[in-house]
Amino acid sequence: MILELLGGNLAHGLLLGGVYGLATMGLSLIFGVINVVNVGHGQFIMVGAFVAQTMFTALGLSPLIAIPAAFVIGMALGFFFFYTVIRRLVEAPELTTLLATFAIGILLEEIAKLIFGADFRGYNWGLGKIELAITTIPLSKIYAFVGSIVIALFLYLWFSKTRLGTAVRAVIEDSEGARVCGVNVDWIYALSFAIGIGLTVMSGVLLTMFIPVGINPYMGGTYTLKAFVIAVLGGLSSPYGAFFAGLIFGLIENGAYVLFAQIPGVAPFSLTVSLAFWMLFFLLLLKPTGLLGK
Amino acid sequence: MLKVENLESGYGSMQVLWQPSIEVKRGAITSLLGPNGVGKSTLLWTILGSVEPWRGSITYEREDVTRLPAHKKVDLGITLVPEGKHLFVEMTVHENLVMGAYRKEALKSMDESLALVYTLFPVLKERAKQKAGSLSGGEQQMVTIARALMTKPTLIMLDEPSQGLAPKLVGEVFATVEKLKAEIGLTILLVEQNAEAALNASDYVYIMHEGTIKAEGTSEKIRKSHEIREAYLGI
Repeated sequence: MILELLGGNLAHGLLLGGVYGLATMGLSLIFGVINVVNVGHGQFIMVGAFVAQTMFTALGLSPLIAIPAAFVIGMALGFFFFYTVIRRLVEAPELTTLLATFAIGILLEEIAKLIFGADFRGYNWGLGKIELAITTIPLSKIYAFVGSIVIALFLYLWFSKTRLGTAVRAVIEDSEGARVCGVNVDWIYALSFAIGIGLTVMSGVLLTMFIPVGINPYMGGTYTLKAFVIAVLGGLSSPYGAFFAGLIFGLIENGAYVLFAQIPGVAPFSLTVSLAFWMLFFLLLLKPTGLLGK
Repeated sequence: MLKVENLESGYGSMQVLWQPSIEVKRGAITSLLGPNGVGKSTLLWTILGSVEPWRGSITYEREDVTRLPAHKKVDLGITLVPEGKHLFVEMTVHENLVMGAYRKEALKSMDESLALVYTLFPVLKERAKQKAGSLSGGEQQMVTIARALMTKPTLIMLDEPSQGLAPKLVGEVFATVEKLKAEIGLTILLVEQNAEAALNASDYVYIMHEGTIKAEGTSEKIRKSHEIREAYLGI
């Protein structure tokens, strides 16, 4: 019985982990290129969730259409915040960047509240389910997982095969080295930030395909925390590391839930929520370069 | 070819350059000598456009390029071999060289450029698929110079190319620098700590101190001047 439960939860965890991974790639990319820790990361996920929900309920459009739309909206937001705020912070002390991105997060929350109100929202795609031997999985979750993999793969190809993607890798490694090659480093900064935010907003859509309820202006905080843990797990500045770390995190989180539920007198949900903190704590203690880092 | 006049720049509010003026002649090796921390590297980065000039002017081929950003300077044929290499250590040697040909013009002649750098540094051809970080210090310096050549430069600025290398390799680096001038016809602006070797290789020398130029002359003249050697070069 418990094994069956565990198996089912691990299957869900793996699927959710793919979305977690995608949701962290943007954070890692931005940290890798401009060394800015985006504390407002989760709020951009929230924006993506609202994009999906609004397009579905107000316009009747499938979340599959919301995915590219969210990327475009995210890129636009990314360029906007880069040229208004972030550009001045590339060489600023860490505390300044933390405060500024925290402020961007609050700004997004309050704008979302102004437009949508503070109520919890949701939508019902109603795609149906598929029956597996151990569990039943809604089709939308499978779509979300496949979507994450396709997007991550696309990003990987862009990084490794294109001239611009290679330039981004060069800037991550050594911005001065890239400059003497004639790379317009300031443009790469702007572009990477915009792509990073685009990926993050897009992942917000995929998350609603997983959990289509509980969409509200203040939902971002938990995702910021999870993304931080996953980013550290993946070695911080590596977007691919982040993706695989996301898979691992999804498995651990969902597996642990089942195990916690076996302990009498314990509330498994709250304990699972605290799990991210514990993982971060032990990871920084034992292997601060990340499980997949060097 | 390149004329720098009364240039001022620095980092934040700290001024580093106090109006140095230099001229680099086509086809010559011009050296910038002086002790550590007098602004030699800052002068190179300001010429490239990575450090913003505050006042003064930079003229290249009779064109005012004072405010041109670094990537536009690379388009004009100016590049820099930075101190401390600044290689992409996680990329292969080949990928590093391809990055050198990043600008559109350089990309067009990438195959020729590759052939040229592999003739200059045959060992790099053998190392092409290895990660740059796995190479020895001397080989890494070759990749840095080769990567700069891939940009198709006419003016190449070298910042302490012999730094941290074994004495035998220092000779090789200077031999390479002279080859760049004699065989490829490049114009070279060289910053060096190793004053003796630099004097031997150069046509014209500037002595930099406290952010400005204190003396200049043909390397012959500098070598003969006891005061200059004693006051600024310690040789």
